[in-house]
Amino acid sequence: MREQHLHALLHHLPAGVATLQGPDLRYGYLNKAMQELLGTDVAEGQCVADHPGVLPSDLVDVLQQVYHTGIPYVAKACSLPLPPQDGKESVSRCYDLVLEPVRDDAQEITGLVLFAVDVTQQEEARQRAHTLAMETRRLDARLRVLTETVPQITFSLDAEGLYEYVSPQWYYFTGQPPTADLNAIWPLLIHPDDRLRVLYQGDAARKAGTGWSYEYRLRRHDGQYRWMLSRALPELHAPDRPVFWHGALTEVHDQRELSDALRRGEAELRFLADSIPELIWTATAEGFIDYYNHYTGEYSGLTKEELGPTGWVNLLEPRKQAEAARQWVKSVAMGEPFEGLFRMRRHDGQYRWHIIRARQLADERGPRWFGACTDVDDQHRLREVLQVQYDELARTNRDLDTFVYTASHDLKQPLFNLRGLFEELRRSATFDDPEEEQLLSMVDDSLRQLDSTLQELAATVQDQRGLSAPVEQLDLRHIADEVLLGLRAQIQASDATVQVEVADAPTLLYGRANLRSILHNLLSNALKFAHPERPPVITLRSYLSANKQPVLMVQDNGLGLTIPKTPTTAFQPFVRQHPQVGGSGVGLYLVQRILASRGGHLEVSSSIGEGTTFTLHWFEEA
Amino acid sequence: MNLNHIVYISRAVRPLTDQDLHELLEQCRRDNSKNHITGILFYSHGNIAQLFEGEPEITEALFERIKRDGRHSHVQKLIDKPIDVRSFPEWHMAFHPLESVGFSQLQGFLMPDRVPAPPDTLTIADAMLIELVRLAVFGPSTEPAFPSLPGPTSA
Ligand SMILES: Cc1cc2nc3c(=O)[nH]c(=O)nc-3n(C[C@H](O)[C@H](O)[C@H](O)COP(=O)(O)O)c2cc1C
Repeated sequence: MREQHLHALLHHLPAGVATLQGPDLRYGYLNKAMQELLGTDVAEGQCVADHPGVLPSDLVDVLQQVYHTGIPYVAKACSLPLPPQDGKESVSRCYDLVLEPVRDDAQEITGLVLFAVDVTQQEEARQRAHTLAMETRRLDARLRVLTETVPQITFSLDAEGLYEYVSPQWYYFTGQPPTADLNAIWPLLIHPDDRLRVLYQGDAARKAGTGWSYEYRLRRHDGQYRWMLSRALPELHAPDRPVFWHGALTEVHDQRELSDALRRGEAELRFLADSIPELIWTATAEGFIDYYNHYTGEYSGLTKEELGPTGWVNLLEPRKQAEAARQWVKSVAMGEPFEGLFRMRRHDGQYRWHIIRARQLADERGPRWFGACTDVDDQHRLREVLQVQYDELARTNRDLDTFVYTASHDLKQPLFNLRGLFEELRRSATFDDPEEEQLLSMVDDSLRQLDSTLQELAATVQDQRGLSAPVEQLDLRHIADEVLLGLRAQIQASDATVQVEVADAPTLLYGRANLRSILHNLLSNALKFAHPERPPVITLRSYLSANKQPVLMVQDNGLGLTIPKTPTTAFQPFVRQHPQVGGSGVGLYLVQRILASRGGHLEVSSSIGEGTTFTLHWFEEA
Repeated sequence: MNLNHIVYISRAVRPLTDQDLHELLEQCRRDNSKNHITGILFYSHGNIAQLFEGEPEITEALFERIKRDGRHSHVQKLIDKPIDVRSFPEWHMAFHPLESVGFSQLQGFLMPDRVPAPPDTLTIADAMLIELVRLAVFGPSTEPAFPSLPGPTSA
């Protein structure tokens, strides 16, 4: 019963068991595991040497030796190929093979017992452990090389804040001997102004179980303090309790000095920009405004947030905004400077003229825009006022010249008459008193003087104004356009329509300055004496009379005027037909005089409240 | 109804593939129509810009979600303010796909040169902002000489 039990146990043992009997080592007992291992062509009674199954031939030799010497042997981790099973490919597994001699009562060796214990898993685990150990050693070596070659000082602290490791760079940097007591010396090398802060921050981070990053000055071997950046992270094993902190110390002295200088410079520039009473701003490369100076807020009454990255355009006149926006987008796209004259709204609603300029600065920090809006409102207004005054003066001056010319011309006839009368008087009258005789010659002198003065006066003005210039072939439309250009302000202001129809007689042989003066006077009168209830419509028509003589008609729809009985005295200088309207009154007088001097005449027809038509006959009909 | 719009620009953490863009388009189109979010997104070479409009609580929450999205970084909000009316009837995404086949049929997709002009309902300042972000994303080459800002006469 007991033996049977033992037999069953042996048979099902997970290790292989076999007995080899006699000097030629024949298989005796084979349990199940051993039978499976050796394969089916191995059977009881066969010689091992003839049927080794999967056993390698050198093991067969060893079996022989164990039998002869009687010294047991263990072959560790032998790799044996398993016979193919159920079509599966054969795989190798590892076995510890134990060879034990079996002796009889007389201690003579009668055979061997062979145990095969499957150690594949242990073997694999051992292999893994080995590879891991190798890898760890390799990584360790690499880490060491790295920590000792990087320019940074690396360090490890334990939970108490005591230095566990510091890389050799620390010793080079500080000049301390390798025997130095790190924990005692290190705090002493920190700049006194930074020491408390650093110790506090380090402690706080360790208590909180977090990493840190701060800068402080550390004394170098030459006694100089250098700015260092200290960064460390905790090494966590249990989720909540770090045991080590590992970190690095990087010298950031130069960067720090530089960025200090930059920060200082930037703060100073910003202060400067904020002190200037001008709108100053900067924008990103993409064209979004990211800084408005203090004055911009003061001027616009808006905060930086209200203005926003593109809100500046809201400060412009609504009808100019789209154009300005397009111009800015284009500048940003092309990297071209921006410049424009715009009216910008002040906090009180008043618009003031500004020159807006922006330029792109490209440096190593990438392109940025710098802009300024300069208030030129006072200059602009002044210039406008000056321009108006200048135009007025120029006009008055021209009118006066023409007036002086024509007046001096007109005075010639009465002077001529006076001289005739005087000659007559001298011939017919007798004087008793010789002193009275002398009086005559004085009158004579004065008359002569008056004559030459008038001559000179006329000549001077004539030369200056070109009134006596030779006639030339003039393009009527061309001259009319020039004159209208000079009157554009008045035309715009009164919303006037001017029709120029010169196709029938497009040219005229006349003095240029004369024609211009005539057109200017007639057109400006028509604009001046416009009817208050309707915009002026003025027609200029040039045509040929029945006798092929050129005629110009100037018609308006204005107030109209009363025509005096005797046409010659129609237009006296300084007599104004419409006292409520400004003007010197010389205009029509001049027109008439110029026409007359060139052998033409002026016709007028008018009805009050409806309009006036002037007809200019340039030359007398033949 | 209260309305708000938000404009931001950002950088993709790594270039978005057609596949990434397609997925984003599908997800946004679905979620945005559910949330009544309208607007437009521009993408090119890692540059991202987006305008979206909707009810303030929704735009706020969406921006917070987008800001935390790991697909991009450097999210910079340019504007966030109330508006009177929507300027975009739907939600669109404009980018240059590597394989344009298939995309052209996709609802919500636009070729960058087909992006419509900023509508008149936007203030000039906001229309300019859109033009600038478009320029920032696509660069100056896609312009047909700034057609999209209203001309001086229509102002
Ligand atoms: C550039 C970019 C734009 C996005 N735009 C939207 C958008 O318009 N609407 C939307 O619902 N999600 C958008 N998302 C996706 C969101 O960030 C987020 O992934 C999505 O709302 C799902 O969020 P959840 O996973 O927290 O539910 C965008 C993501 C990126 C990277």
